[in-house]
Amino acid sequence: MILAEPLQVAIDELSKLPSIGRKTAQRLALHLLKSDPVDVENLANAILDLKRKIKICKRCFNIAVDEYCEICKSEKRDQQTICVVEEVSDIVAIEKTNEYNGLYHVLGGVLSPLAGTGADSLHIKELLTRIHEENTTEVILALNPDTEGEATSLYLAKLIKPLGVKVTRIARGLPMGGDLEFADEATIGRAVLSRIKL
Amino acid sequence: MILQTLELKNFRLHKNTFIKFSRNLNYIVGGNGQGKTSLLEAIYYLCTSKNLLQSPDSEVVNFDEKFFEISGDFINGSGNKIRILYSLETGKKNIFLNEKQIYKSSEIIGKFPVVTLTQTDHFITQGSPLYRRKLIDSIISQASQTYLKTLMEYNRILKQRSSLLTKIRETGYPVYEEELEVWNASLVKKGSEIIEKRLEFINEFNGYVKNSYNEIMGEKEIPALSYKSTVSTIDLQNIASVFNENLQKRKREEIARGYNLIGPHRDDVIFKINGYDLKKYGSQGQNKTFQISLKFAQFFYLKDKLNKTPIFLLDDVFGELDSERIEKISFYLKKIGQAFITLTDFTNVENLNKDENDLMIHISKGEVKNVS
Repeated sequence: MILAEPLQVAIDELSKLPSIGRKTAQRLALHLLKSDPVDVENLANAILDLKRKIKICKRCFNIAVDEYCEICKSEKRDQQTICVVEEVSDIVAIEKTNEYNGLYHVLGGVLSPLAGTGADSLHIKELLTRIHEENTTEVILALNPDTEGEATSLYLAKLIKPLGVKVTRIARGLPMGGDLEFADEATIGRAVLSRIKL
Repeated sequence: MILQTLELKNFRLHKNTFIKFSRNLNYIVGGNGQGKTSLLEAIYYLCTSKNLLQSPDSEVVNFDEKFFEISGDFINGSGNKIRILYSLETGKKNIFLNEKQIYKSSEIIGKFPVVTLTQTDHFITQGSPLYRRKLIDSIISQASQTYLKTLMEYNRILKQRSSLLTKIRETGYPVYEEELEVWNASLVKKGSEIIEKRLEFINEFNGYVKNSYNEIMGEKEIPALSYKSTVSTIDLQNIASVFNENLQKRKREEIARGYNLIGPHRDDVIFKINGYDLKKYGSQGQNKTFQISLKFAQFFYLKDKLNKTPIFLLDDVFGELDSERIEKISFYLKKIGQAFITLTDFTNVENLNKDENDLMIHISKGEVKNVS
């Protein structure tokens, strides 16, 4: 079946989005076609504003409205602790806990030669400059506990330790509300290894 | 663990086959291409949901039919019924445990341990190191989930590292060499864990192999397994530090070739008889005997480790062997409990020491002709 060109273009563009397949894209496009023009315009503007108004924080590479992000601008935050994460979405996850009151640094990925990401394509240099200029006392590495995350943590620790800064890594172990019986052996093994004194 | 019954529908030659097995030895007899090995293949499906001969599921369906179905009743603690249904139209395999559908085949792996001896096992003693690594990795993994995880992580590191080595070679950019240090650290950490576990395993497994070999050959020949590592030939006490040192030494060579040259992924297991290298000096009969001993050893090792009796499948185990060894093996089999053994050679049947508890199942054109 040949579709009218604007519809086809809209479907093509929508299906570029993550977790949107051809069928969903088609349904969304047809839905937009039937929608109130005002709604569609609002959506289009919202998408454009995303790109136009949202900037990347100069300091930590979080998303921001101004030069610096809300976290970096806040005076209530502990200015001497930096939590290193892979992506902005990780900041959202950690912020939801309300357990952390320091600053962040978004690496923009992890070391993965297979995917073509090396140290030079991550915000590592900027992190080192920050540690130097901001009198940082502790760097918390909060990367995913997979092969690439581990390697990146090792790499960062090697670079940061000589600067005389405390480097820690978030603990790994059993999920809250989890059942010991159903956890996999590797997780239980690690949880036992990194047990804490009560 | 005992398999009581097996029912097949449209499974290769077997249009409709139902067999009640003995709790002891089940000899499956018939000419070539009559459907003997298919029975082992079906039992293997029940235990692992996978194909014994690595054939695609679609090839297993009987010609002119659209599906195959296998069901088996195990006595496994409280008793378990496994049913596998494959449809050619959807290309989907549905697995039912006690008539409840299972969506991940990993849910039944390890529940029904199985040890097999097939024609391709001659590669274990005569083929490349890959086959020997596969054997020991699969035995250790069956007994330890942690080992399997470590192995998977290690393989991931290998891929990342070789990709980085190639990148360094192509760009000649020294900055990447710092990154290489990090992948070295990961490689050494996981790699050492693997080597340690393998050494520990071989140390223990040696005893099992000696016992099995002895049962078949008597004490005139003594088998031994040893681990040959690319990490170090002499010092396996401080694996991690030696590993690291050797990585540094061979760094240029690794970069030039863009490969991971040292580590457990290139190690080997050496089999010896009376101190002689089996691969170099062993006869066909010795090779076959060694392969059989390894499988018996695997059976008893897993039985001890898992506290469960594995299912034992032997495809044409008696080919190439003299009557004395056939007799010894048939006696040894009585210590296994339940086993499934295919036979083509009718002339040697009198050497099998079959007793009234064992079954002789005659198969012809995909049908059970008689059971005695």
